[in-house]
Amino acid sequence: MKKGRSIADAVLNYLISIVLAILVASILIIIQGSNPLEAFKEMVLGAVGSKSAIASSIRWSTPVIISATAAVIAQKSGINNLGIEGQIYFGAFTAAVVGAYVQGPGVIVIPLAVLAGAFAGLLYAVLPAVLKLYWNIDEMITTLMLNYAAIQFTEYLTMMLMGLGSDTNPDMIATPEIPEAARLTQIMPPYQASTAFFIGIVLVILVFILYRYTRIGYEWKMIGRNKDFARYGGIRHFKNYLVIFLLSGAVAGVCGALEILGPHLRFRTNFSTNMGWDGIMVALVARNNPIAAGIVAIVWGMIKAGSLSMERMTSVNRILVTLVQALFVLFITLDFKSIFKKRSIGRKGRNR
Amino acid sequence: MTEVLPLCGGRTDEEKAMDYILELKGICKYYGEFAANKDINLKIRKGTVHAVVGENGAGKSTLMNIIAGVNKPDEGEILLNGKRAIFRDANDANRAGIGMVQQEFMLFDRLSVLDNIIIGYESVEKGLFINKRESEERIKAICAEYGFHFDLHTLVRDLPIAVQQQVEIVKVLYRNAEIIILDEPTAVLPYQEVQGLFKAIRYLISQGKTVLFITHKLKEVLEISDTITVMKNGYVSGEISAQEASEVTLTSMMVGREVMLHLDKANLEHDKVVLQVEGLNVRDDRKIMRVRDLSFNLKKGEILGIVGVSGNGQNELVEAITGMRKAESGSMTVNGERLEKISIRDNRLRGIGYIPQDRLRFGSSDQSSLIENCIMGYHLKHLQKKRILMDYDGATKFTEKIIAEYKVKTRSGSDPAGSLSGGNLQKMIVGREFSQKNKILIIEDPTRGIDIGAIEFIWHEIQKQVEEEGVSVILVTYDLTEAMTLSDRILVMYDGRFNRELHGPEYDEKEIGLYMMGGGVDEKGA
Repeated sequence: MKKGRSIADAVLNYLISIVLAILVASILIIIQGSNPLEAFKEMVLGAVGSKSAIASSIRWSTPVIISATAAVIAQKSGINNLGIEGQIYFGAFTAAVVGAYVQGPGVIVIPLAVLAGAFAGLLYAVLPAVLKLYWNIDEMITTLMLNYAAIQFTEYLTMMLMGLGSDTNPDMIATPEIPEAARLTQIMPPYQASTAFFIGIVLVILVFILYRYTRIGYEWKMIGRNKDFARYGGIRHFKNYLVIFLLSGAVAGVCGALEILGPHLRFRTNFSTNMGWDGIMVALVARNNPIAAGIVAIVWGMIKAGSLSMERMTSVNRILVTLVQALFVLFITLDFKSIFKKRSIGRKGRNR
Repeated sequence: MTEVLPLCGGRTDEEKAMDYILELKGICKYYGEFAANKDINLKIRKGTVHAVVGENGAGKSTLMNIIAGVNKPDEGEILLNGKRAIFRDANDANRAGIGMVQQEFMLFDRLSVLDNIIIGYESVEKGLFINKRESEERIKAICAEYGFHFDLHTLVRDLPIAVQQQVEIVKVLYRNAEIIILDEPTAVLPYQEVQGLFKAIRYLISQGKTVLFITHKLKEVLEISDTITVMKNGYVSGEISAQEASEVTLTSMMVGREVMLHLDKANLEHDKVVLQVEGLNVRDDRKIMRVRDLSFNLKKGEILGIVGVSGNGQNELVEAITGMRKAESGSMTVNGERLEKISIRDNRLRGIGYIPQDRLRFGSSDQSSLIENCIMGYHLKHLQKKRILMDYDGATKFTEKIIAEYKVKTRSGSDPAGSLSGGNLQKMIVGREFSQKNKILIIEDPTRGIDIGAIEFIWHEIQKQVEEEGVSVILVTYDLTEAMTLSDRILVMYDGRFNRELHGPEYDEKEIGLYMMGGGVDEKGA
């Protein structure tokens, strides 16, 4: 009975948040002098209104699904890996290089490039993990700062690789395009949606199985809920912390790699449209539940696809959608029920 | 709404005639559908010690918090000196002359005693500057009047618990309290200090103050109070004067049946050593050596009690032998195997269970289900399928067995541990450690803050483990009665060392108390 009620509470929370977000969006659209209804219509059409719209939704869902999975793995165990964006950059760069320079059939080059990307993302997570474990330096700060380092550093590596000078036009800073053989198959040609989407879905299912059925998943979950209790129960903290952190980085690396092998085909600075941060926000909205994260990520991708189309069709700016998405995350983190309760009861005693 | 009546001012004849300083009429307090207090009527005579006793969850603290203005009653009224009083908050109640010393002290560790006492009630000069000298004079006068002695300029964290409690009482007096509420004041004190507290309470009474005293320790109630109100399940189940009451009558009023807190111990011979600790040195977080060159052993089927005043190194000792804290030096030998490094994981794999003092931080995860809580530790070797998968069906059965055998009140194993009351949570933890086929158990304060029924149950379970399963137990406790009832042998800890080893089954509480305070030891220039 209680469980049913808590699910109802969660649904109510989501509904209130959606209504509030739409309300804020409408106000902002009206201020910009457009018609909110028309804008929303374009958004829906842009997300599901046609074959190209659906392909676009799938294309934009893919990276969010994977980066959200990376975020869930870390956050479920209480690790604040805010460095997913940076790990994506390293994964993407490495996969782009492997994809472009290793000759061979796709069945070999593609897995190799993805694994190389995963490994690069993993390596980039080693530094904050070690800093935390040996010197107790907050990973929230180190991962955040290392994002900027990652963007600059991959740009530098690209310039070095391509022999470019500092006077190069930023748009020209890119690795060579990967050959046909190393590209992911498009599932709805000619659109960008690729088999990476299925890889994302498989990852979500694997992570779900990990937490639901395995011993290591149980231990990781318990570390996140109360790490002192986990230690008390004989769960190795050091080893698990390191593995979780690195796994999160590796999944982020996969996200970057697939982004290159699918739609982008070459590594370019600023190729990532904040997909690392989207993943963190999705994990937050999904309360670190892997399946919920997968679903929210798909919705996230649909909103993204819809907003791109809305921008083309109306005068409303896409940034508005990003803003409203962020507001939605903010609303969802509020516990509306307890806010209403506090209002009606006033100051409640803390008696236990 | 706010009708606050100052206590000072001339007393009319009418007020003198009726000398109830505080009267509660029909107080009710609900948390959702749960009634924490139901129709409470209580009259408190001026200048007396009025005790409120009851099991945990009986609603004592809720009621006291209502009197002290911390909580608001949903129904009923409070009469102070015969006049209706409504408190907006604790400050309101303070101004009306009601002060409360909470069970967990509300003191700032890093501030001086003086600052702690005057905080919020500073004497202010020209509306801007704090006049500490004036406050200091007043506090000194209060201390002199009521016989408290402590330095006002020491930091609170450097004071022993008993003195911190005195600081709390002086803080209440400084705020001109006429009614002083003490919430479980003896829970934190060793035997000798309890007498000191009682002396202070008697003195307060002789000076015309009124003391409201909550506890679940019956001996103390009978010793100190004039009138005793017994609460059960949120209502008052009886009121009795201390002269007429006995432990037996009170217990049956509290629990509704007679409780056997006495154990018949089988007289077993213990000779095989299962655990030996040698030359153990442990530092605390502040790098202060808390355990000094400590050696002891534990024999098979024995309950070894370790007692001491809080802060004499028992915590660090337990942390070191359980592997929660790294020892500076020393070794532990388990079943003949000498370990240089103690790790909690290896301990668990060797069958050493641990019931921690801090149930919420170390003993459980409130967001996790009972199942997830009950398999912790056991999952390292058991309840697995093909090594990588968890056998959740087995885990559910394992948990249901614990729930049934240890009488954990819950709807199902998938409820979160956070939904359990303190006593039930402790039963779950005890059940977990007792069901994991452990050979040695390190048990820390197993009955702190839980009700008599649960205490009785846990004591019997500990004894059962020892007598039926041949488990050996190290029992570290602050409750002397518990140590004396259960232990075959007691080690008294003082300043990081064992001051004395005593052999049961009979112990002298006063003697142990003396050793706990460092008495009876050859003076080594300390």
